Amino acid sequence: MTMSVVETLKIHDAAEVEEAVKAALAADTPLEIVGHGTKRAIGQPLAPCRALDLSALDAVRDYEPSELVLTVQAGAPLADVTSLIDSKNQEFAFEPMDTSVLLGTAPGRGTVGGMIASAFAGPRRIKAGAVRDHLLGATAVSGFGETFKAGGKVVKNVTGYDLCKLIAGSWGTLAVMTEATIKVMPKAESEATLVLHGLDALTANRAMTLALGSPFDVSAAAHVPASALSHGGVLAELDGGRRGLTLLRLEGIGASVAHRVGSLTSALQGFGGVDVVGEESRRLWAAIRDVAPFSAAGPLGAWAVWRIVCPPAAGGELGQALARETGGDLMYDWGGGLIWLAMPPASDAGAGRVRARLDAVGAHASLIRAGEDVRAAVDVFQPQGAGLAALSDRLKRSFDPRDILNRSRLVRSVGP
Amino acid sequence: MSLKMPEPDRAVLDRRTAIIADLRRIVPGEGVIDSAAEMRPYESDGVTAYRQPPMVVVLPETTAQVAGVLRYCHDNGIKVVPRGSGTSLSGGALPLADGVLLGLGKFKRIREIDFDNRVVVTEPGVTNLAISQAVAHAGFYYAPDPSSQIACSIGGNVAENSGGVHCLKYGMTTNNILGCEIVLMTGEVLRVGGKAAEAAGYDLMGVITGSEGLLGVITEVTVRILQKPETARALMVGFGSVEAAGECVARIIAAGIIPGGMEMMDKPAIHAAEAFVHAGYPLDVEALLIIELDGPGVEVDELIDRVEAIAKGCGQATLQISTSEPERLLFWAGRKAAFPAVGRISPDYLCMDGTIPRGKLPEALARIRSLSEKYGLRVANVFHAGDGNLHPLILYDANKEGEMDKAEAFGADILRACVELGGVLTGEHGVGVEKRDLMGDMFSEIDLNQQQRVKCAFDAKGLLNPGKVFPTLHRCAELGRMHVHGGNLAFPELPRF
Ligand SMILES: Cc1cc2nc3c(=O)[nH]c(=O)nc-3n(C[C@H](O)[C@H](O)[C@H](O)COP(=O)(O)OP(=O)(O)OC[C@H]3O[C@@H](n4cnc5c(N)ncnc54)[C@H](O)[C@@H]3O)c2cc1C
Repeated sequence: MTMSVVETLKIHDAAEVEEAVKAALAADTPLEIVGHGTKRAIGQPLAPCRALDLSALDAVRDYEPSELVLTVQAGAPLADVTSLIDSKNQEFAFEPMDTSVLLGTAPGRGTVGGMIASAFAGPRRIKAGAVRDHLLGATAVSGFGETFKAGGKVVKNVTGYDLCKLIAGSWGTLAVMTEATIKVMPKAESEATLVLHGLDALTANRAMTLALGSPFDVSAAAHVPASALSHGGVLAELDGGRRGLTLLRLEGIGASVAHRVGSLTSALQGFGGVDVVGEESRRLWAAIRDVAPFSAAGPLGAWAVWRIVCPPAAGGELGQALARETGGDLMYDWGGGLIWLAMPPASDAGAGRVRARLDAVGAHASLIRAGEDVRAAVDVFQPQGAGLAALSDRLKRSFDPRDILNRSRLVRSVGP
Repeated sequence: MSLKMPEPDRAVLDRRTAIIADLRRIVPGEGVIDSAAEMRPYESDGVTAYRQPPMVVVLPETTAQVAGVLRYCHDNGIKVVPRGSGTSLSGGALPLADGVLLGLGKFKRIREIDFDNRVVVTEPGVTNLAISQAVAHAGFYYAPDPSSQIACSIGGNVAENSGGVHCLKYGMTTNNILGCEIVLMTGEVLRVGGKAAEAAGYDLMGVITGSEGLLGVITEVTVRILQKPETARALMVGFGSVEAAGECVARIIAAGIIPGGMEMMDKPAIHAAEAFVHAGYPLDVEALLIIELDGPGVEVDELIDRVEAIAKGCGQATLQISTSEPERLLFWAGRKAAFPAVGRISPDYLCMDGTIPRGKLPEALARIRSLSEKYGLRVANVFHAGDGNLHPLILYDANKEGEMDKAEAFGADILRACVELGGVLTGEHGVGVEKRDLMGDMFSEIDLNQQQRVKCAFDAKGLLNPGKVFPTLHRCAELGRMHVHGGNLAFPELPRF
């Protein structure tokens, strides 16, 4: 997929990773770290490199449901791991996003390592956190070609620096993870979703803020404006009249969910009629999580997609301004704190207009879907201010001084 | 005490008078303390066995002053130890003889309460409890609740990644912090994160949290606040054996129930607590579990029934369920007072803090028992049972020749046992100086070098809180060196496709 790969090294056991990194250092040829390769089209285009294929590191090392702890090799297929923990009624509470819908890659693919490195948390992030909150430990090979251990295998640990936090979401630029220990959580016994219809973004933002500020333990809050529902799919079916959906999820044991459905419904009286969805709830939230309205297979498949994270109560206003100024189409998750913005095709994916609005509200944007030429032309990930950028660079070098791992994936190189 | 701290820098000590005068220019008024008597309260933190007067105490009031002090110390090669409320149980805020003790106690203002975004922006010297109190009128609270919450500062909580009895369900500090303002040793002021759920780039907030004052000085924190659960009720269940109690904990979790809190005490701890607070604890059981369920009333009622059934299936000896708020608080009273209760039955005690995989509890307690015999020192165990965090309290008498050394050796053996059983040296109190020399039992030299390189990225001169966390200090230049053999790196043959 990536044009710059000169050859692929297939790893068979964890010890080979260290060898491969040392070899890469000696040859000064950077490595692209690859699991199933489902997210290769995210990030700045890479410099010419060798690909390090970790998919054979796929063993489940240890799974103790009553300890809430799972240890797997980084190349373990996410689908297999998910069904393993599902068999014990457990899950990754952060609802990892399946990027195949948005990127048009083969469905059901992706490794645990890729999930950790990309760190796309789903709707439950507002309650349960992201992968950073569940990664307990890791074994990884740094850009020094040394295998190191971070964290531990127990749920509570403050021994030494929490290097796992840096590894999660680092897009493989700090170290090659070979093994990870992740906290798993029991699945909720039941769920229901309250649906409000026809709210504009500002009103929807207020409704979500009210719900999330209530004691009813809302586990997800999303708003899909009418425009984003004109492309079919499970959300559009629910909407029927294409007036826009505001969704609030409640999870837990049956009696509790029923009780909270009642309480939250009365709290939301001022926002119009409330429908309750039971059975279909899971599918709705999968569609939100995976940004189905902007799916690669749908009518907006050729549009660039931005992921914008902002203070939740600022989402409605920010989103409206962005829609107005860019002609883009958008949807909101995390109670307004996550905006997915689909942009009509443009050589820079509208980067300037998108980012101009962000600093004022403390938001940041990354370009999750765009062609390679577009990604080469813009900063895919939000550029940081000078101080933070310099610190991030020092951190990168503290793990990978020769920039051998996923070189230039995170930060656009501004020439030699 | 047999603790080795970095060699004091004579050149710095010789310039003490001039340094103090310079610091007074940066922090005018009462903010610089240099008399032996006034510095005494700062000689130790919660680990009172270790004491060291600092060279000088500085209490800045503004970020600009913090930056000024750090820049000055950086330029002049002077070490700095940050301090919040000084309740650390690992000696993290222990001063250095040639160092500035930088107290954040004057950063006492809550800067902003933002209910719509469910965050509070606060200065670091504000106590943990004060944050919850400031938002209580709107039904909110700040979830992590260390037992020291009336005293400990939120800055200290971030530095230690503190937990509390409710962190099984609601997370530790790191899961409840969104951003901070941090001043690096160079005096550079950085803002990390903010009110959004996540920040751009590497998770700096994540690595700063729990860094024990070695990476930077925190001058502002943005914390997440939550709505209080509608209600909470607790069960108090006694067991004839620790194994049965451990099995009960495992079955509760396997049944998909994550209680708001799940605490265990062993017989010596039960007896000490009961004698102190008269909570009505059963005295003839080997282990006592306090299990709290919180949420809407209907949910709590149903879960109480389920947990009761599980407890009965594990052969409980006694079982009480709280029917009122005072009763629930009474169940907790003994557990919350466990430390002072043990303090009453022994002149001194050492509080340990290891974590083990929950299933290894019986084995861990058996080992602790046999170590107790070997050292001839009594021990009481309280345990955050839900997440495997063990707090053995070692009873000793510092006035008896050699007993303190014995207690420390006993404690170190317990922590080594935790690591051997698949656990870690510290679950919530931090490494500090107390567990510093045990780091090699858990981490290899390569692991520790990688951590120290991260330190170098923040503090290249190693002037911030040196002598804590890491058993040996390396120069950053040395750590950053790539080890090249014979001018060339190995170039092995690899299978290719
Ligand atoms: C009776 C008692 C009960 C306790 N119970 C618990 C408990 O249940 N759970 C738990 O986790 N802990 C507990 N502790 C430990 C302690 O209260 C926590 O570690 C607390 O977070 C320390 O906060 P502090 O403000 O007192 O920090 P200090 O003790 O002053 O400092 C602790 C560390 O943080 C650094 N630091 C402090 N402020 C800053 C800052 N602004 N910027 C950078 N670094 C800083 C210091 O250098 C030091 O390394 C208990 C302590 C006591 C005495």
